[in-house]
Amino acid sequence: MFRRFAFGGLSPFAAVLFCTALGLALQNYFKYVIAIVLVSMVIGVALVVLVGLARCITLATGAVMAIGAYTSTLLMTRIGIPYLIGLFCAAATGALAGWLIALPGTRFRGHNLAMVTLVFQAVAIILLREAKWLTGGAEGIHVPQPVIFGWRVATDADFLVLIGLLSALVILLVTILTRGPFGKNLQAASGNEIAAEAFGVSVPAYLRAAFVISSMVIGFSGALAAPRIRILDPESFGVLPSIFMLAYPIVGGMQSVWGGLLGGGGLRILPELLRPVADFQELFFASLVIAVVMFFPGGMVELLRRSTGRVFSRRNKQRAGEASLLPAIIPPEPTVHVWPTVPANSSEVLLRVEGIDRHFGALHAVNAASITVPIGGIHGLIGPNGAGKTSLFNIISGFLEAEQGHIDFAGTSLLDRPARDRIALGITRTFQHVAVFGQLSCLENVIIGRGRNAVMDSIKQSFDHFVGGRAREAAIRDALAALDAVGLADQASMPASSLSLGNQRRLELARAIVSNPRLILLDEPVSGLASAEVEELRQLLLRTNAERQIAMLVVEHNIPFVAKLCRTLSVMGAGAIVAEGNPEEVIARPGVRQLYFGEAAA
Amino acid sequence: MSALRVTDLWVSYGQVAAVRGLSLHVEPGEAVVLLGPNGAGKTSAVEAICGFVPKRRGKVEFLGEDISGLSASAISRKGLGFVPQWRDLFPTFSVEETLVAAETAARRRKPTPIKDIYALFPVLRERKAQLAGSLSGGEQQMLAIGRALVTNPKLLLLDEPSAGLASGITLALVQSINRVRESGVAILLVEQNMEIARAVGERCCMLAAGDLAWQGSMKEAIERNEAARVYFGEH
Amino acid sequence: MLVEFGLVLLAGLKFGAIYALAALGLVVVHKATKTVNFAHGAFAMLGAFASFLIVVHWQWPYWTAYLLIPLTIGAVAALLEFLVLRPLRRADMFTVVIATVFLGIALGEAFRLTYNTELLAVPGMFVGEPFIYWGVIITQETLWVIAGALVIAVGCVVLFRYGKLGRGMRAMAASVRGAQICGYSVDQVYMVAWGLGGALAGLAGVFVAPMAGVSVELSIAVITAGFVAGVLGGFDSLKGAILGGLLLGVIESLAAAYISSAMKNCVSFFLLFFVLMWRPEGLFPEKVARRV
Repeated sequence: MFRRFAFGGLSPFAAVLFCTALGLALQNYFKYVIAIVLVSMVIGVALVVLVGLARCITLATGAVMAIGAYTSTLLMTRIGIPYLIGLFCAAATGALAGWLIALPGTRFRGHNLAMVTLVFQAVAIILLREAKWLTGGAEGIHVPQPVIFGWRVATDADFLVLIGLLSALVILLVTILTRGPFGKNLQAASGNEIAAEAFGVSVPAYLRAAFVISSMVIGFSGALAAPRIRILDPESFGVLPSIFMLAYPIVGGMQSVWGGLLGGGGLRILPELLRPVADFQELFFASLVIAVVMFFPGGMVELLRRSTGRVFSRRNKQRAGEASLLPAIIPPEPTVHVWPTVPANSSEVLLRVEGIDRHFGALHAVNAASITVPIGGIHGLIGPNGAGKTSLFNIISGFLEAEQGHIDFAGTSLLDRPARDRIALGITRTFQHVAVFGQLSCLENVIIGRGRNAVMDSIKQSFDHFVGGRAREAAIRDALAALDAVGLADQASMPASSLSLGNQRRLELARAIVSNPRLILLDEPVSGLASAEVEELRQLLLRTNAERQIAMLVVEHNIPFVAKLCRTLSVMGAGAIVAEGNPEEVIARPGVRQLYFGEAAA
Repeated sequence: MSALRVTDLWVSYGQVAAVRGLSLHVEPGEAVVLLGPNGAGKTSAVEAICGFVPKRRGKVEFLGEDISGLSASAISRKGLGFVPQWRDLFPTFSVEETLVAAETAARRRKPTPIKDIYALFPVLRERKAQLAGSLSGGEQQMLAIGRALVTNPKLLLLDEPSAGLASGITLALVQSINRVRESGVAILLVEQNMEIARAVGERCCMLAAGDLAWQGSMKEAIERNEAARVYFGEH
Repeated sequence: MLVEFGLVLLAGLKFGAIYALAALGLVVVHKATKTVNFAHGAFAMLGAFASFLIVVHWQWPYWTAYLLIPLTIGAVAALLEFLVLRPLRRADMFTVVIATVFLGIALGEAFRLTYNTELLAVPGMFVGEPFIYWGVIITQETLWVIAGALVIAVGCVVLFRYGKLGRGMRAMAASVRGAQICGYSVDQVYMVAWGLGGALAGLAGVFVAPMAGVSVELSIAVITAGFVAGVLGGFDSLKGAILGGLLLGVIESLAAAYISSAMKNCVSFFLLFFVLMWRPEGLFPEKVARRV
């Protein structure tokens, strides 16, 4: 029944095959051009993963291509390794290069990253040029014709078929990854690092994977193009070509495989179209990129989407329609609770925070703070500005380190564990400034909330999703159930950024409950909401707590809301817990009033 | 003509409507307090008035002139001084350099002589060579106020000046604000702390969840215990 | 042996002085606007090209090059800030890097189209008798480059630190909001910062033209050297930019002489790598007061 969603993403693969077929029908010169264009499409797609999804600038594309090209060529000429194996080796050395760049690369963003990749690019080319004994230096080496199981690839048609088939295959593989959980997690990691870490997406690991995978493909493309280029010399893989290849995802569209196809293909065909004004090519190119960056940031894909608006809105309606059918198709059972159910009023302690201490320079931000949350309980934390609530909250959720104290969660110590471990332990959170993953759909946002987001897991899941396996069914089912519980089932395929604030807060809640955690940490959940929405959210939280037995720790400024939601309350002032107990009673205490109003407490 | 007149101010950050239709006015030489709990929209409102945050709707008039569309630096040049919540000082500038920087920026508009600032805040004169980043919280607050005063403002807007300060400093803070007011500068003070609000303000506007919940004289506010109602949602 | 070392050191200081000037321009812009201008090298190339036009093509007196070029290139840079960077003020760092990278390429291409030769030669300003100290030959040109570039660089730093012009940029660098509260206009300060950065780049171009000739490669060489020197010194430190430039020049010269000419780039890049990884604040950072 889910087959209709499986094998999505075959269209880029089909497009490449179509181009190949088209080329075979044309003259030899066009066969040559299209073959080169197809390689550029592969590069474009690889760069979409790194530059588009992972938001990493790279000026090293030429060097990685060169590494792949030289690897396969040298293996063929020096050791006589067959071409196909040479291709795999090129992919492997490409991956290695990507891993090397990622070592410092994942530490930096923006101009420092650009510089690190520029260094790699320059050094690699220098080394290739200087190692004359190996690479023939600046004179270059001649690439022999490939022989594959007896078929000598010699004519333009031969090359086109070889390149076409292999490009299509590689682009298909990358499409599977980008459209599956790997691509979604990568977008989450580069879009909102903190929220990603909170749900088990390790940002450094994903960025590293993006470097490795994209460099693997680029190295492969270098080896693919090598026999077509016939002579390899280091200068043709220099800085300027690298910068121009960077333009592929930018002009094409950075968020999808189609962007890589359109950008790579379109920009590579440009020199052919601009033959009469060949001198002005690069100037035109550079101006085009600047214009795109200034006026059309979505690239060609966005432009096409807008001009064929009607076609796509029909597609969107179709998607929305499909999503609304899903609840009927899916059996209503949510995934089995992992945790044993306990009555809501149990006095057993779930979270025990004791004696937490934290300074910022001379400021004693958190002073021997202690909080307990019972199983299934709802505990509030209030206090005036600067009282230390946020610091304590960040310590509990793993985004800040404590200097002293203990945090015990159902027998496990949370101290010194990174934020990304919490989801596996059964703790999730929401954020004061809504941290949904804007470019992903609501469904995709909630699916990330399920956890199990390690890089290798998500790669395996991506292939599983492609063939429409059971894991995908389970994921969609759980996510829809969570969306339904917060009243957003009909928005499942809408991008999260299009939701109103109130709905985005519900989405955050859905993302937080889908993994059936034992504890949710809520950071100012009603900040910015109108009073009607505040009441709705309060009801939703009470319902969730009752139905799913999820305990909650709520930091808030809206005291009436907290009083009507929480069963127990702690008040913080100047870093210390100054009161705790039943909300009505605590709020009425003069000491608490004084905290907010100063001496003139009413 | 009011020193400051805000009419139907709406401020949104993307989806969040932080301020909904706020209207208030400050007369020349007057001190008005904008009170409310966190998340009420006080900071959003003053940041929008000073031009750091765009308005969705509404008009802001300063000394009769419409400043609704101007940039933050242009508004500052009109004579609207601002002391933001976290002061935004220059950490690597000394006290003297900070005041000189403000003086240079204001050189065409008759800036307040720096010696007058030192007269108002003697402790700054003592520390004039010290880096702003190494001053205590209270001293930093005084420097921030002093820097705003150099540009010779007709209205001074202060956003929670007591935030992060130890409670002993509040008296000195209140005294300095009152002295500024005595020299003829109107004051719009944003605060959570009722004690400071009482000591400084003549009139009071209470903000809750972006809406103006109540406004009137400070005396009335205290008598009717408006703050408790707004903060804790009860009578 | 010692003579050889002296010559190598001198060559290093000569290039180092130019790197210092280039790095200074880059750091000034970054300090004031928090962006790295990847078109900086292209500005230097334009400066070198303008020097060719003034000295070789139009045959005006050399000193006019040193006067007119910083003004012109500075104006061009300020104009480009207004046209391209101001609309992108709200965009993220990624977009701005891309924009300046391709801006540099566009400028390089525009130059290549006007003068389609590989390399243009420009004579030096001083061609008189060289001095000889302890066996080391010091040409007048070398002395001029080292002294002139350094004096200009130091003068710039002094101007920045104590002058009215620099005050706005320093305030903006320390706190954008704080500067706006004082009444400094972001638009104005950013344009002035770019103007100053462009002027310094143009000057670097004039100094380097006799040594390296005018070509598109100059653009990439200058931005790379300027960036590496800036990182070495500590990217927000003006004195660091000068010291970093000198250090880079000397290290490259030593590497070229005692290892190999090709490896000289590798050595400086490895240095960049180490600094980025283990001392990201740079080797000569400006003191930073701790926030209380």
